[in-house]
Amino acid sequence: MALSFGAVFLLLVAACMAAPLWASEVAHTSPEANHLSDTVVVDGRPTEVVDELGKPIGPTWGGRYFLGADGNGRDIMVRLLYGGRNSLLIGVLASLGTIVLGLLVGLLAGYFRGRVDTFVNWLMDVIWAFPVVLLGVALGTAFAIGGLEIGPLTIAGDSLAIPILIIAVVYVPYLARPVRGRVLALREREFVEAARAQGMGSARIVFTEIMPNLLNTVAVMLPLLVVNAILLEAALSFLGAGVQAPNASWGTMIAEGIERIISAPHLAIAPGAMLVATVLALAVFGEGVRKVLDPKAEVRIEH
Amino acid sequence: MAILAGMGAAMTLSVGLVACGSGSDASGAKGGSITIAQAGQPDFLDPALSYTIHGWEPMAVVYTPLVTYKREDGEAGSELIPGLAEELPKVSADGKTYELTLREGLRYSDGSPVKASDFEHTIQRVLNLESGGSSYYEDIAGAAAYVSRGDAEADIPGIETNDKTGEITIELTNRRADFANALAMNFAGLVPGDTPFENMTKDPPPGVGAYMFTKSVPNREFVMERNPRYSEDMVPGVPEAKIDTVTTKIIPNVVQQTQEVIDNKIDFMQEPPATDLKAEVLERFGPEGSEEQRYEEFPTLSTYWFFLNTRVAPFDDQKVREAVNVGLDKSGLARLYAGEMEPGCSFLPPAMPGYTEAIDVSACPWGDPNQPPDLDRAKQLIEEAGAEGAKVTVWGDNVETTPKVTQAYADMLNEIGLDAEPKIVDSGVYFQTIGNQKTEAQTGFLNFFADFTHPLNFFYPLESESIQPTNNQNFSNVSDPRIDGEVKKLGEEPDLSAVTNEWEDLNDYVVEKAYIAPFGHRNLTTFVSDRIDFENCTVVSPIFYNDYSQFCLKEDE
Repeated sequence: MALSFGAVFLLLVAACMAAPLWASEVAHTSPEANHLSDTVVVDGRPTEVVDELGKPIGPTWGGRYFLGADGNGRDIMVRLLYGGRNSLLIGVLASLGTIVLGLLVGLLAGYFRGRVDTFVNWLMDVIWAFPVVLLGVALGTAFAIGGLEIGPLTIAGDSLAIPILIIAVVYVPYLARPVRGRVLALREREFVEAARAQGMGSARIVFTEIMPNLLNTVAVMLPLLVVNAILLEAALSFLGAGVQAPNASWGTMIAEGIERIISAPHLAIAPGAMLVATVLALAVFGEGVRKVLDPKAEVRIEH
Repeated sequence: MAILAGMGAAMTLSVGLVACGSGSDASGAKGGSITIAQAGQPDFLDPALSYTIHGWEPMAVVYTPLVTYKREDGEAGSELIPGLAEELPKVSADGKTYELTLREGLRYSDGSPVKASDFEHTIQRVLNLESGGSSYYEDIAGAAAYVSRGDAEADIPGIETNDKTGEITIELTNRRADFANALAMNFAGLVPGDTPFENMTKDPPPGVGAYMFTKSVPNREFVMERNPRYSEDMVPGVPEAKIDTVTTKIIPNVVQQTQEVIDNKIDFMQEPPATDLKAEVLERFGPEGSEEQRYEEFPTLSTYWFFLNTRVAPFDDQKVREAVNVGLDKSGLARLYAGEMEPGCSFLPPAMPGYTEAIDVSACPWGDPNQPPDLDRAKQLIEEAGAEGAKVTVWGDNVETTPKVTQAYADMLNEIGLDAEPKIVDSGVYFQTIGNQKTEAQTGFLNFFADFTHPLNFFYPLESESIQPTNNQNFSNVSDPRIDGEVKKLGEEPDLSAVTNEWEDLNDYVVEKAYIAPFGHRNLTTFVSDRIDFENCTVVSPIFYNDYSQFCLKEDE
């Protein structure tokens, strides 16, 4: 079953990757193109994309406006696919960022113990003390206004790199903690003792002896991290602290759709359904991976 | 000066014309109580400070200035009448001295007598508290020195009062044709001479008017009760209350407000109905609805536009500014306002002296605003200016519809050949951000609601003296000798009707120079429950909008 859900996930990924193709060849528009005064032929009759009261057209099930339009007359299907690209990109890159940072921090704390461990634990406690969404909203809102400057590196406020960085950072404790625990146990094992007796340096021991033993943990955590990152991205974007307009994301689309949930429910239902499908497919697939790689582990991320 | 503001919580008042009720002589039952909903707490419940629709609508029935407006629908409602003064001010030949006499026997809602010196105290509070309305009174002789001295109790030499005779004399430093309008603003609504020099929102001071505030719980509700000491005999033309108690609840969710008015749980909502329920409201309760009418839209004295910074490329080139005006899809943008927007090209709004329908619609130099734009012509103008691919940041705040409008505008700029990106910032910092010259804001969203029917009130953001390094309000940085000269000359002419043609010419000139890109004029709404007698008891003053003092319940309620 996990494999079939994995296939569904891959299908969704493939569909999102094909967004430019759908936009140019089928819908003949772009995700940012407004069509406030345009008409489209539905059932042989020209129909306004957005009527005079601002109500957008519903699904036409044809090439143009397959899933209808939003309040600005933008093609929902096109924005859904582009939004999926953004959501998946942020989810995957943020998770990889979390893994790199979490591994680094967990390895340092677990291997060196002492002051390093104390400092790392304190830092993780600080991050952990804030609810993930609250911390994400605080950082997202601050950076969305002024952007982010780290030395010579400047990131604009509306860049996708902002939510990627935020999500990567806020989940670090959720990976660093179990990694640290594993490292604390591993560093006392005989093969590490042996390596040390052979005169290996700390860096070599960490990267060649200990890290390979953590890959299972990481492999099991990865789908879970991606799921949570996608959900957090959607939440942040819904609250205006994630992906910034006019870039599409499922979270911003749901937020825009809520305003017209009675008269145009498709605006919120379409991105909501895509979000559920993606998260469900990846979560079930991830559970399958866990059963294969680490059947005894109880992996979960508690907010 | 009127304030530039986002619609919604920060929206200022304007003038509009409408005819829905029958005026102050309307019949209807007296007594009872109603509940009103508004989405946000009024900025202040203090006449010296309040400068938003949330505050002004209730304020207008609690405080009466020396001069006020007829409480009637439509154009009649913009006519000045004596308020607490016996007559309209006598203005000297040089236009700098205003003489008024207080009516006899006036009492505040707490029973204390109204004195002529209360007027000076009222203006002192406006100036001392640095109210948004203080600029209206800075031309009073000695007002500037009073402000700079910072002593609240100090005298303002330009205001002389006599409590025995009730005489009030105001000296201005320079002639100002709209000063009588300034005297009729809520800011100048008289309060007792012992009212503290502080924000009185939690305990609003007494006034002379149909209602009095009896309870104020910020962010939750405030209650107005009929002022038992007030009758229309005291100030003819300012009606007394028909409803005994008006409770205003702060309900941020406009969908909830709309549904509760539909269900008759709330009797009036200050905001326009939620866009999601607009079709239902129109179909059921609109002028041509299936049920008894409870809903109507009325125009306001407002213009919505995009500023085009004439100091910064590419908008320092008139051809690029013309291209923007030609390419703007005005009828499309109106749809984002659920139809509550009249597409137009004119800077001055309808019903403002100086406005002509021709420049707004039929003879608009940029094409009929009710038709899709001529994008090819706009592209050609951009090419002629050599501005293809010019980077443009489009600014907008996050209030209500503005983000969508900003995105649609940015998309249009891209379509005509520029390289535009929208930049949405919080409404709390929007004006400071774009008003800082260091930002070099190229273009962005603005709306402007006039405080009264005088074009001088509207031209402030286009005068060169409004250009400031920070807190700039001339966002297009327009510095045009013709505008400056004409505004100064026409602004001193006391007889507005004598110079209406010249204001018209100036309005045409602003449009033709494409200093800004106007796209329409906003409508607001009246939507009441089935309990309210819509036909006889809903009066929309063009100055104060919905007149709470004239609401009444149906006979059977």
